[in-house]
Amino acid sequence: MIKIIKIAFLLTGTMVLGSVATAQQQQAKPNEHEQHQQHSEQQKEQPAAQHEHEEHHDHSGHSMSKTTGPATDHTGEHDKDHSVDDKTHEHAIDHSKHNVESTEHGDMHHHHHMDHDHMMDHEGTMIMGQNLDKLPSSCKSISEEVEITVRAGRKYAGKFPGTAFAFDQQEWRVKPCAKVTFHFINEDQIRHQFMMHGLPKYLYKYGMFHLEVTGPKTVSGTIIAPGSDDTFLVHCDISHHMEKGMKAQFIVGKGSENIPSIPGLTPYNRTDIYEAENLPRVSDKANQSAMVREITKTFAKQDTQNYLIILLGALVGLLCIPLVKMLIPRKKTEK
Amino acid sequence: MPNPILIAVMVFYLATASITAQASLKLPQTIKVDRAALTAEPPCDPKISPAWREAQVIDGVKIDASPACSPDNPAWIAAAVKGTNNVSMDTLMKTGLSPDTIIKTDDLDGDGDPDRIIIKLEVMELNGKSPDFPGIVPTFDIAPGVQPGVWVFAPKGSGMSTENFESVRANPLLRLPAPVIRVEQGDIVQLVLENTHYFPHSIHLHGVDHPFMHKEHGGGDGVPQTSEIELMPGERRVYEFQPRQAGTMFYHCHVQTHTHLSMGLAGMIVVEENRPNNWLQTLNIGGGHVRHSSVAIKEKFDQEYDMHYHAMDKELGDIIQKYNDPRLIARDMNQRYDITDSTEDYYTINGLSFPYSLRESLIIVKPDQKIKLRLLNSGGEMIAIHTHGHHATITHYDGVEHNPVAQIMRDVFDMAPAQRLDLTLETTNDGKHSYGEGDWLIHDHREKGITTNGMAEGGSMSSIVYTSYLGEDGLPKTSHFGIDLSHFFTKEYWERRVPIWQDLDETANLGSPAGQTVSMDAATKNSLLNATYGLLIGILIYFIFSKREYIKQSVMTVISRNKDGKGSQQ
Repeated sequence: MIKIIKIAFLLTGTMVLGSVATAQQQQAKPNEHEQHQQHSEQQKEQPAAQHEHEEHHDHSGHSMSKTTGPATDHTGEHDKDHSVDDKTHEHAIDHSKHNVESTEHGDMHHHHHMDHDHMMDHEGTMIMGQNLDKLPSSCKSISEEVEITVRAGRKYAGKFPGTAFAFDQQEWRVKPCAKVTFHFINEDQIRHQFMMHGLPKYLYKYGMFHLEVTGPKTVSGTIIAPGSDDTFLVHCDISHHMEKGMKAQFIVGKGSENIPSIPGLTPYNRTDIYEAENLPRVSDKANQSAMVREITKTFAKQDTQNYLIILLGALVGLLCIPLVKMLIPRKKTEK
Repeated sequence: MPNPILIAVMVFYLATASITAQASLKLPQTIKVDRAALTAEPPCDPKISPAWREAQVIDGVKIDASPACSPDNPAWIAAAVKGTNNVSMDTLMKTGLSPDTIIKTDDLDGDGDPDRIIIKLEVMELNGKSPDFPGIVPTFDIAPGVQPGVWVFAPKGSGMSTENFESVRANPLLRLPAPVIRVEQGDIVQLVLENTHYFPHSIHLHGVDHPFMHKEHGGGDGVPQTSEIELMPGERRVYEFQPRQAGTMFYHCHVQTHTHLSMGLAGMIVVEENRPNNWLQTLNIGGGHVRHSSVAIKEKFDQEYDMHYHAMDKELGDIIQKYNDPRLIARDMNQRYDITDSTEDYYTINGLSFPYSLRESLIIVKPDQKIKLRLLNSGGEMIAIHTHGHHATITHYDGVEHNPVAQIMRDVFDMAPAQRLDLTLETTNDGKHSYGEGDWLIHDHREKGITTNGMAEGGSMSSIVYTSYLGEDGLPKTSHFGIDLSHFFTKEYWERRVPIWQDLDETANLGSPAGQTVSMDAATKNSLLNATYGLLIGILIYFIFSKREYIKQSVMTVISRNKDGKGSQQ
């Protein structure tokens, strides 16, 4: 226990650990997002819970984990965690009685722990491959502590034609050996993931760091960036979310090669073929009198166009006759 | 003097003629495709543990034995019966489901089972185009190497869509068909659709008692032309209903139904009769054998099978493999694809075609059993399911019981699109119900129903197998009859590259003929020949032109000689 406290104090600012340890799943703050207005009622329902969380930021990581119950306790009492299950489900029952969208409630007090690498709560909010304290072998110390807020949702695809889902940013840069806490805010009402690949496997199982949450809600997790320049793929692995835009890159130091098909950033390896379509336009009818339309219609016909081009050719030919005449006599004189 | 050019041309013609004659004299050899050259797959999915077949109890949930070679994951069944909220974390981690996929709470009528059921479905794409590499992702085979582009309602999952980061194969939850949903009469059901797909969708509860409501009050009929607007990507909708009538029903997407249904957004939903302590298997993922039947079914039957027949058009599925841009996919599907010109190419039972249907969708029986079969046709055409060796009784049409006195027995069951039939199959060997033990085919008797993209024997073909005819591995013991099904388990067979009759006799009489010695196609050969003719004629003309003086002279001399000769003779 003392060891844990020490580590907690040494490695993190209270805020970082607090947010990580609770794996905050508070509802996205009701600032500029329309969709959150509809959830304002729920937020009213649990102002106490939210308030509690804000307070936690001011406490040390350890005291916080005490207040938030065994599920967020990092002392390794995993066996106890399962005993919490019953309570969790009672909680779920209560909500479902009153609210159709009962499961939207962020109940961040109860976590099902799997192991240190894999945390999941009763709604499937997941933190996998988190690294709070293990320094990469190429790092002597942590170079900087960074907090990055990542928003995910359909609306961010708006600025990239031909995509369906996206992150709010497509690239994040940190120094080598930086300790980075990602606050992943899912603004849709479905699952999204923040999944990073290619991390060193001796620190990260499968070389992966993975946050997953059904929105609108937030989940946070921390990693320590490797000591060398590198670029890592970040994506959502739900079927065709990456293919349809939810893709980004995490650049450490100067980075390495860019990752392809990141919307607005790097070209697709395989592009679709686009062709102009015959779409109706307002100008088609508004600016044209019936007469003009009739005439343009005849002109637009393939046959008419062909005849016109033949006529044009003939005219050009006629114009060229004098030139030819000029040329031929010259040749004769040359001879 | 014989003209050298004439000779040359003559020789050339003779040569070509003799080559042709030679070719027809000696027909090409038969080439037998070497088994070793085929990508052989094991008949049973090697990833599935044989232990899954056994009868077992998981978290207190009794799961019947299922002797087929690739039975459902028992953890899925336990989670579906208890609810993902009540099952142990250990079991849940074996399912890949999200902890909130099936939430079962509140015994409202106090009869020992939960009456408030929340079921969460997502919309997943399989075999769609990737902008990153020249392939499709995540892949799902309905038969070896056969990967049509499809969409499906999948139970809400957790983690990656593929097996792992290196693989492009879909994880086992992402598969055809949409899972069979089971709820109890009187349950308060919230069917939650989380639209994880890039297109709008909805759910229409076909045949299930549900209110007609505005979307803001829990949605209604799923129809964008009546009460409900399309559920957009990234949005969620809750369909709440409390069914008063039991029966085998149907759910499907009602947005652009003519394409979305065929794409795979269709599943069976069963409302079971209300009984005490009736913990239902809320989701039967993959369909097929029900290993934890309802109390009412157990009262009357020994076994229960869900059989979802579906059909898909290749040209439709190809659209999501042609484009990545959702706008282009929408354009081709909504404006350019013409269903009135379409033909169905893939026929599946519970999402798979023969031979994969043998892995999961066998009806495995013993003599003197009474078996409940629930059939759904979600294809676009009428089907005619025929049971070899058996007559079965139709007990329900579209979830409603037929007058027991008027119930009939048949061996061909015609089903209109969206129709459901409940059958009672009795394995009593009386020459009518059953002709005795065996490996009896059950298939669509429209002959195209037993093809996969026109290649037989595929389609929705399966078998009613008596355990005495079932092998150790859970497949029918066909080898006992000298029958080898292994070539069906190669992708080359479905690529039409294996002559199907080559192994029927020693000489491979109906094998594949080797190509002619000149290994080029007829068109190239023809044009090459023509070019040679042209060249020869060109040379001839040049020769005549350059030697014209000589020719003239020689002609003159010939003529004068003749004249002289004539003169001398005279």
